[in-house]
Amino acid sequence: MLRKLLGHLGLAPPAHPTFAENWRYFKELSLNKPLADYEFIVFDTELTGLERHDEIVSIGAVRIRNLQIMVGDTFYVKVKPQKKLPKKTTLIHRITPQEIENAPPLSTVLPKFIAYCGKSLLVGHYIGLDIAYLNQAYRHHYGAPVSNFCLDTMRMAQTYTEMQWQLHLDHLQTEASASYSLAALNTRYKLPEFTHHNAYEDALQTAYLFIFLVKKMKPKGVISLRDFLKIGQTWRIFF
Amino acid sequence: MMTSKNPVSNIAPETVLDFLHHTLPFNELDDQALRELARHCIIDFIPKGVVIFRQGETQIEHLYLIQKGGVKLYLEDDHGQITLSDFRGESEYFGALPIMQNTRANLNVATVEDTFCFLFPKTAFLKLLESSPKISHYFLRSLSEKLVNTAYAELRRHRISPRSESALYLFSTQVGTAIKGQLQTIAAEASVRQAAAKMSEKMVGSLLVTNPTGKIIGIVTDKDLRTKVVAAGLDYQTQITTIMASPVQTIPAHAVCFDAMLRMVRQRIHHLAVEKQGEIVGMVTSRDIMLLQGTSPFYLFREIVAERTLKGLHSLAHKVQRVVRSLIEEGAKADNITKMITVLNDRILERLLTLLIEELGPPPLPFCWLMLGSEGRSEQIFKADQDNALIYAEAEDQAKMTSAAKYFENLSVKAVDNLVQCGYPLCRGEIMASNPKWRKSTFEWQKTFDAWISKPKPQDGPRSTIFFDFRPGYGDFSLADQLRQHLIKSIPNHGLFLYLLAKNALEAQPPLSFFRNFIVEKNGEHRNSLNIKANGLLPIVDFARLFALKNGIRQSNTLSRLQVLHERGQIKTELYDETVKAYEFLMQLRLVHQLHQTEEGRQPDNYINPSNISDLEKQTLKESFAVVSRLQHQIKLEFRLSEH
Repeated sequence: MLRKLLGHLGLAPPAHPTFAENWRYFKELSLNKPLADYEFIVFDTELTGLERHDEIVSIGAVRIRNLQIMVGDTFYVKVKPQKKLPKKTTLIHRITPQEIENAPPLSTVLPKFIAYCGKSLLVGHYIGLDIAYLNQAYRHHYGAPVSNFCLDTMRMAQTYTEMQWQLHLDHLQTEASASYSLAALNTRYKLPEFTHHNAYEDALQTAYLFIFLVKKMKPKGVISLRDFLKIGQTWRIFF
Repeated sequence: MMTSKNPVSNIAPETVLDFLHHTLPFNELDDQALRELARHCIIDFIPKGVVIFRQGETQIEHLYLIQKGGVKLYLEDDHGQITLSDFRGESEYFGALPIMQNTRANLNVATVEDTFCFLFPKTAFLKLLESSPKISHYFLRSLSEKLVNTAYAELRRHRISPRSESALYLFSTQVGTAIKGQLQTIAAEASVRQAAAKMSEKMVGSLLVTNPTGKIIGIVTDKDLRTKVVAAGLDYQTQITTIMASPVQTIPAHAVCFDAMLRMVRQRIHHLAVEKQGEIVGMVTSRDIMLLQGTSPFYLFREIVAERTLKGLHSLAHKVQRVVRSLIEEGAKADNITKMITVLNDRILERLLTLLIEELGPPPLPFCWLMLGSEGRSEQIFKADQDNALIYAEAEDQAKMTSAAKYFENLSVKAVDNLVQCGYPLCRGEIMASNPKWRKSTFEWQKTFDAWISKPKPQDGPRSTIFFDFRPGYGDFSLADQLRQHLIKSIPNHGLFLYLLAKNALEAQPPLSFFRNFIVEKNGEHRNSLNIKANGLLPIVDFARLFALKNGIRQSNTLSRLQVLHERGQIKTELYDETVKAYEFLMQLRLVHQLHQTEEGRQPDNYINPSNISDLEKQTLKESFAVVSRLQHQIKLEFRLSEH
């Protein structure tokens, strides 16, 4: 019983073989190599809302290898939620009820996503939120949360900004209250512009931000996975 | 549902696709090919100041297309001296040349800004070149430019300073005409030594190998001698057939040289046998083709300037026209082309008169050759009728004036005759320097212009206007400048002259109906067509001339006149911008139309059938005509001319 609970919290090897394998892999993974040596999946989910009972309606993801985005190796699915789609979110995500009517349920999507992620590290913008919903689903279907290491591009951006402060002592120029939304960062760092809005395009945009930050932070001494985990892994616990 | 089965392969990377859709030459691809290409795409971020390629070192694995940011291309010589070669920005690429030539980086490439690039793997890019002729043409064209630059780098040591050049004649010259010298063969049983002896005797770089029946079975080049014999330590008595390449690569004589170059680059060979009706008639080498490119505008310019005979000049003059096509192929706009043609035509005139003066002896008085009409405005592309005149200085001595008149008559008649031989037809209205009416002293010319200005007759409207566009072409330019100065002073005080000029400018109406539909010719040879010169271009030319003369502007070129008017605040920025756009569009449309006609061997005209142009062109044409209406409205307001 305790073991099951620990597994549920990710503190003991889960019962599910794939999850157990990942758990062990990440427990032993060397953290001292430069970031370019690891593979990443940058992903974004779209939700019906931000309440606990809300559900995932789409997952978009791109693979990063050698700190380059593999455009041809991407993942995008729409998911049919168990409850009806509320009108409000439809407007934001441009996913209409008809569009997801024929979409598969999360139970058939998850194994594909797990296979796609494999032993890659996970990256997201404000990733805590996405992971919370993903873990909720994982626990429900597999009895265990994700073991893959996660990096949060929002935390990374904040750290990068702080580094700039230290460098230039120019607190006024980069206000502490500045927005860290994906769109705001995109403008601030002059990244290529994006017009689309779905989970896949958001993931791609996050991937741009990720490789930008990693390469810009390298000369400042943030090099190994350990360095990045120190700043990028802390995220808010949602539920 | 497909997406649920295999989500990965079905995602359209819209960001990449959108970008490719707007990027040359990828926008030429169909949707499926684009998607296939996008699937292989890798996105990379390279911070500012990073060296991506190192000259002679980096093995190129990807074609780089810049999504955002910029790079510089530079060369570094043995002494560490850096020569900046180029900058590339958004939507531009680098790495194509080394991939196609299968070499290491030919230049250093470093980011000058934070840069995002789309990377296409070498294999995907090569496959694309194979499958899409449009893409390979695009890249090879830019490649050929670089080849030429390399050739120039070699020439630099000898005589000229290199200039950026482009592959101009490649598209219009047939391989058959590029053959130099006789076809050289050697019998199959000959030895390597004999082959080498024959090559140096005949001063050729290759020999075709024939069997006893005379059939060509292979080729041996000087490179084969170097690499397969000397470097490999082979016996010089070895039979030639052991080192020859077989079968011989051939190309039809009617293929254009561009295709020959394409083959050579693709197959990494330097010699092609030229075939005509199943028989090999000669060889072309990569060097021949590079030399051929020497006949670009820059080279033509040099040739004209260096020409010593009138006969030679006649044939050079005929080459000027060939520049037009190549320039269009290179994406030049009508305005650039007219500038280039004007420069070349001016040189021909200068050379022609210089040679004639050498023949006739120095002129007794200073004179200036004047160009009128479209030539005076520097707006000629295809050779139109000659419009020219001559002005010469005054002398006290009556006898000197008489002998000068005789000399200039002689000079003018010969010049006009030679211009005809250069391909500029005679003027039907006899407005040429050979006509005594248009060959006068400064005083006489002032009198003539004064008469036009102070006692204008409505009927001399269109005919005299071409005189007001005069430009000095050869001789003492100050004579023309004084005349212009005289006009600048006197015209603004002659309201009637300007009024009639304004009325004249309103005569040709843009062919648009009240509902903005085209009004086409109803019958005759040009049924259903529009005359874009008479009803589009000329009203703009007339507008610019009218306001330039009214405001004492000395320029004769329409765009220059408009620019000065705008700078002086005499036309509003918005109208100026639209007028320039309309004028350039009409020029471009006419240029392409006339090019087609000349290539089909027809006399170029100005009639466009709206059903033969694209919807976008139709729309733009309507907008251009609408601008013409606005200009005419402006004239009506300015000169208080009511609707008629």
